[in-house]
Parts: sequence; C-alpha cells; structure tokens
Amino acid sequence: MQKKVASRAAKPVNASARKGSAAGKQWTYGKRGYALAQSLRQFTQRKFSSLVTLAVLGITLALPALFLFSAQAVQQLASQNIDDESLTLYLRLEIADLDGAALAQTLLGKPGIQKTRFISRDEALATFQAKTDIGNALEALGDNPLPAAIVVYPVKQQADATAIKRLSKQLLALPQVQRVQYDLRWVQRLQAAVRLIQSVGWILAGFLTLTALLVIGNTIRLELLRRQPELDVAKLLGAGTSFLHRPLLYTGALYGFLGGLVGSSLAMYAFSKIKTPADQLSHLYSSTFQLQMPSASQFLTFLVVATVLGWLGAFITLYSPSRKLISPRRTGM
Amino acid sequence: MIQFENVSLEYDPGRFAVRDVSFRIPSGAFTFLTGHSGAGKSSLLQLIARLVKPTAGSIKVGGIDFSNLKARHEPALRQQMGLVFQDNQLLYDRNVFDNIALPLVIGGYKYDDIKKRVSAALDRVGLAHKALDGPLSLSGGEQQRVGIARAVVARPKLLLADEPTGNLDADISADIMKLLMQFNSSGVTVLVATHDSGLLNNFDFPKLTIKQGRLVDVHPGTRQGSAARSRQAYTE
Ligand SMILES: Nc1ncnc2c1ncn2[C@@H]1O[C@H](COP(=O)(O)OP(=O)(O)OP(=O)(O)O)[C@@H](O)[C@H]1O
Ligand SMILES: [Mg+2]
Repeated sequence: MQKKVASRAAKPVNASARKGSAAGKQWTYGKRGYALAQSLRQFTQRKFSSLVTLAVLGITLALPALFLFSAQAVQQLASQNIDDESLTLYLRLEIADLDGAALAQTLLGKPGIQKTRFISRDEALATFQAKTDIGNALEALGDNPLPAAIVVYPVKQQADATAIKRLSKQLLALPQVQRVQYDLRWVQRLQAAVRLIQSVGWILAGFLTLTALLVIGNTIRLELLRRQPELDVAKLLGAGTSFLHRPLLYTGALYGFLGGLVGSSLAMYAFSKIKTPADQLSHLYSSTFQLQMPSASQFLTFLVVATVLGWLGAFITLYSPSRKLISPRRTGM
Repeated sequence: MIQFENVSLEYDPGRFAVRDVSFRIPSGAFTFLTGHSGAGKSSLLQLIARLVKPTAGSIKVGGIDFSNLKARHEPALRQQMGLVFQDNQLLYDRNVFDNIALPLVIGGYKYDDIKKRVSAALDRVGLAHKALDGPLSLSGGEQQRVGIARAVVARPKLLLADEPTGNLDADISADIMKLLMQFNSSGVTVLVATHDSGLLNNFDFPKLTIKQGRLVDVHPGTRQGSAARSRQAYTE
C-alpha cells in the first residue's frame, strides 16, 4: 500500500501522460454513447431554451397524465352499478321504535327487497350531530325533530330506475310511511356528468398529446438546422443515416421523458389538490369511489409513453417525406 | 484505383460541371487535378466520393462499380476514403482530439483503438501538444493539419484533397504538401485538386487538367508517387 502511493507520486506528469488524457470519457466514443453525449450536450449548452421547451411539454402533458392516472377510478365511478342504491322511508313521528323495527323486518320478506335497515330517531340524531355543526342547535330545541327511517335496499335485478320508482310507490302506500326518498336521479346525473367529463377529457388529452408531438417535432426541426454543419461533416466522413439521426432521436426521447416527468409531477400536484374535494363529493353520493394516488406502475407507464412519444416526434420529423435527408450544402469540395 | 469512363455531370440541362471525362489513376499514385476556378475540380472529387452521381458514364473506385452501388452502402465506401477540404470543415464545438476521433466513432472503432490511432495521427501531423485545444485557437496551417489527421486516422486507401493549401502561405503549403507525400509513400493513393501554381511548379507529379468540365491535358510529371506510373496508366 505504502509502496503504491509512493510510486504514483513519483510518476512524472509528462507530455505523454497529457496526451493519454486527451480522450474524453470512454462511453462518449461508442456510437450510442456519442449520440447520447451529443444529445445531452444540447440540453446543457442551451439551458434556457431547453427549460422553456420542457415547461411547455410538461404543462401540455400534465392533463393527459392526470387522465391516465385517474382513468381507472373515474371509469369505476361512471360505470358503478347502482345496486347499492337505496330508498329511505321516513316514518311518521308517532311510530314507535319497536314498530318501526318490526316494519323493517316485514319489508325484508317482500319480493324485490334485499336488505333493510332501521334507523331509530335517536340514531338519526346522533348521526346528524356527528356530521354537522347544527346538530347541537337541534339539541337546544329540546325535542328530537328527526323521524325514524328505514333504508330499503332493492335486489340487484330490480335496481334500475323504473323498478325503484315502482317500489317507491308501493312503499309510500304503507300507512306508517310519511315520505319516501331516493337519490336515483342524482346518481344518474352524476354518472352522466362523469361520462361527459370523461369523453371531453379524452379528446382534450388526445389533442394535448398531439400538441406535445408537434412541439417535440418542431424542436427537432430547429435542432436539425442548428446541427447542420456537424451533420454535413459527419456525412462526408462516412456517417450513415442512423448515425446522423440517432442523436436527434435521443433528443426527442429525452424531451419526452423529461417532459413526462414534469407533466406527471404537475399531475401529482393537481391530484393532491383535488383528492379531498373529490372524495367529499363521492361521499355525498354515498359512493365507494375514492381517488387513488397513482401507483408506481402507472407512473412508469406514463413515462414510457411520454418517452416513446418524444422519440416518435423526432422520428416523424426526420423521416417525413417532406424533408430532404441532409442538405446537399456546398461543402467547399 | 480510380477509373472514369465517359463521365458527365450535368447540374441543369445543358450546364455541365464535368463533361465526357475518361481517365484512370493507379493505386499508390500521387496526382494533381488542376484547372481554373469553375472548371469542375470539386465536382470531379465529389463524383469520386459519391457525394454526387454522374448523369452519364461509369465510375469505378477501388474495384467498386458505382453504377451498382446501393445508397445504403455509400457510407461504408466513404469511410474508406479520406477527405481534406480547403476550409478544413472542422467542428468548432469540440477539441482537436475529438475532431480527429469522429471518423473512428462513425466507423465503430473500440475506445482503446481510437485513443491509439488519434494519438498516432496527431504525432504524424506534429500537433500532439494541441490535442485538447479548440480548432479556433489554432492557426490556419494547424487547422489544415488537423483536417489531414482526421482524413487519414482511419487509414484510408484513397485521400482526396480539395485545395488543401488554398488559404495558406508558401512555406506552410509546402509543409502540408510534404505531409500528403508522406501518406502517399506509405501506400495511400492521393488526389489533390489545386490551382496553386507554386505547388504545381515545385512538385512535378502527374497532373490532370480540366477546362469547362472537359479533361484537356494529362501531364505525366517527372516525379512519381509510391508506385511507378506512365502516361498510359492515366489515359488508357
Ligand atoms: N450544386 C451545384 N448546382 C449547380 N451548379 C453547380 C453545383 N456545384 C457546382 N456547380 C457548377 O459546376 C461548375 C464546376 O464547379 P466546381 O465547384 O466543380 O469548380 P471548381 O473547379 O472546383 O472551382 P473552384 O476552383 O472555384 O473551386 C461551376 O460552373 C459551378 O457553378
Ligand atoms: Mg472547388
């Protein structure tokens, strides 16, 4: 060990040592490494315009990312079967708890009803107090103004709108029942709205993805002009199309990847902002729907898609029939 | 090595850059190509390097018949030639070492090989101490030497030089000329397009003269390249 250090220190820094170090890093001299190095240099040399392009791409890709991340949850919300749809029967105030519970039991035996649940006046008050601020105000009234209720769950096969309507009429005919309430129309409206948002969203996401493709294509077109001298020289030195195009394809892919990273970060931020109100909304409709933060695999999928998109944007630019390969610029020869 | 048969290059109908030219340059020869500005010297070199295609006639280089050459094989062909330009065509975004290394990167050489060959080429043109400099910090003559190092680093069999001494003064031109002759003496066929009378008078190598695209004179020269030539070899 001691010896090694000494011998290294003794090594003279002569001309040949300098010459040996003239070569750059090994990986930059392979065909792919060269292309990657060229492509990376583009980013570091022109930081500002690269950052602006990345910001544009990121913002453009944020909405598609948001849609991809929430697609599953939204799909679930839009197609959620309304089989846990329920009707609430509000009983007359003079009906005793015992009678109410007995009625719930009787109803359970009727055709078309799957499940019933009796909610006593006290339970109703307790729930109300727990959920709202005005609960205490109610208590101040002294007397519990809330009626007892029976929640009726129709069987799955009878969970469509007309069947529920029919059932509601039958139940309203019962003497103990004051009022029947069901949220069916609201669920339908919600689902219709979600479906509308879903299709508008997919169309928007499609347009924005196309925009990203065009932004990358245009960036590559500019890059192509900027690098014309290098491309011409490389061509004169015997470079083929793949060698000439590889750095630009890498640049496209890199833009796609980094733009995707920015876009998905923005989407995640937006997600964290809308999660609470979205869950509250879904709770209001007693839906089981919950906005899940995107999983690692969703995240990765999006990045892969964005990278491929970038590569594709470059590819289309490079191989579009409208573009002559490399300009037959006079090279002085 | 190079064989032209009735080759014409017509950019626009009726505008010939090269017109019905036939000649043959043997392997190992050192040859000048001369003529006035606009005579078609550069066009002729471009034809040899397959940067343009002839509109008539046939070209063979190193036994390869260009008429059967597929476009995807052109890069490989060009990798076997060394090209030197009047304005040297160096890339200013990288240092001398990386400029010279570019043909090797294109050719897919291994890292260790690249290091060895570039260092050797730098030694031969006497610029080992400038490996890390940018081309812009070099003099015109030094830049041209870097251009030559880049042209020969992949050890081509054919070196094409277009006005390699165009902007340089006489002393430096002679240095460049000596370098080219050195490569020729190691077996490389060299073709130099020039109208530098100093060069043409001092080095009496075989000389093809073109005028308005036509080959008008073949001068055998008193000096020979690395292989003995006769006038016969050039005209056939
Ligand atoms: N790409 C081109 N398109 C049209 N005409 C061209 C093109 N390249 C060359 N020419 C024409 O062909 C003729 C020969 O040009 P070339 O460059 O070969 O001449 P040269 O002998 O190299 O001249 P110089 O000594 O000035 O370099 C000229 O008339 C030129 O205008
Ligand atoms: Mg010329």
